[in-house]
Amino acid sequence: MEGLIKDILLIGSGILLTLELLIGGLLIGILLGTLCAILRYKKIFTLVINRFISIMRGTPLILQLSFIYFATPGLLGIKLSILAAGIITFGLNSSAYVAEILRAGIENLPKGQFEAAKTLQIPHFYAWKDIILPQVIKNILPAMVNEVIALLKETALISTIGGMDLMRRAQSVASEQFTYFIPLCIAGGYYYGLTLLIEYIGKKMEQKKMYA
Amino acid sequence: MLSIHNLCKKFGLIEVLHTISLNIENESIVGLAGPSGGGKSTLLRCIQRLESPNSGSISFKGKSGFMFQDFQLFPHMTVLENLTYAPRINNKTLDHAAHAIRLLTTLGIANKAHSFPHQLSGGQKQRVALARSLMMHPTLLLCDEPTSGLDVATIDDVVELLNFVRKMGVTMVIASHDLDFLTRIADRIILLKGGAIVVDVQPKDLTNPIQHLKAYY
Repeated sequence: MEGLIKDILLIGSGILLTLELLIGGLLIGILLGTLCAILRYKKIFTLVINRFISIMRGTPLILQLSFIYFATPGLLGIKLSILAAGIITFGLNSSAYVAEILRAGIENLPKGQFEAAKTLQIPHFYAWKDIILPQVIKNILPAMVNEVIALLKETALISTIGGMDLMRRAQSVASEQFTYFIPLCIAGGYYYGLTLLIEYIGKKMEQKKMYA
Repeated sequence: MLSIHNLCKKFGLIEVLHTISLNIENESIVGLAGPSGGGKSTLLRCIQRLESPNSGSISFKGKSGFMFQDFQLFPHMTVLENLTYAPRINNKTLDHAAHAIRLLTTLGIANKAHSFPHQLSGGQKQRVALARSLMMHPTLLLCDEPTSGLDVATIDDVVELLNFVRKMGVTMVIASHDLDFLTRIADRIILLKGGAIVVDVQPKDLTNPIQHLKAYY
């Protein structure tokens, strides 16, 4: 029993890195994804943003992570820490998915909402900030919760470049004890618990919506 | 005065407006009638610059307001916020809320100031949409199918509302397929068919304007 508690605590110490990657990646993903979703309607940015989204969605995340961590020192002469490489990779990758989720939300909004804003001489910035995005966010909330959950699970890839997250710690405990069942169940329990927490927060946010 | 000269608008290969020329006097109410696809809404949208014409010109001095067929109120804002948001963004110094409440009181919906659009009836939404347009102090108000989907009693309300706007000295151009409504409110009715003006009459000059207009459909 004592050994089990020790294992739970040891594997659990990886939760900090998992959460750092999740929150960092999510922040970049939301900010950059929103920027991409809005700017892709400007003709001069459309091609570049569409290519970026296509590449991010069309190549394996593990390849992107390896590229950022192993290839950037050679290309740019910058040595990134594991945490920085993870946050940048997960953020860039997530931004492509967030931009697509937002695109679906924006295109589902009646064209008349944009026209009403224009007719009322509301400047572009305010129209996006106060008229369009609040309505879009309400509609895309379930898809965004999915994206956060997907990102949480993808953070486990950090173990491939040596990050000591939940997954890597579970593997390390497993290799010390020559048994995989318990350590992997513990790691799975942590991930599932975090997923339940994200689902709960998402539901609360949906319930908080102010109009039907 | 609103002046439209040789206005043409195409959507792809389809010519929706064909060399429309038109002068509209200040403080008059002009009705745009005609069959579906005749170009009524497109003409209104060109005047409001929601569509860019392929050729021709539109000249007008002053501010224009637009009432959409489906109102296009902002669903996540209360009635009061719908009214005050745009004026507040454009001029932060004035007390827009007090003006909005006065307008809502005049239109008989002051008790709905803190309701959301989905909590309103069709007629109430129509009043809010009108009030929102009036908050911008337009000298020209463009109305796209203002009676669409409304019952007879509510259409009477719309006539009353637009007469109220007329008293404010606002020029109005109203697109509607409802000839009865247009003959009640408009000083002049223009019938558009196939993107061209086929009739331009003053209902008061005719003994039976509805029958006269129907002959051109």
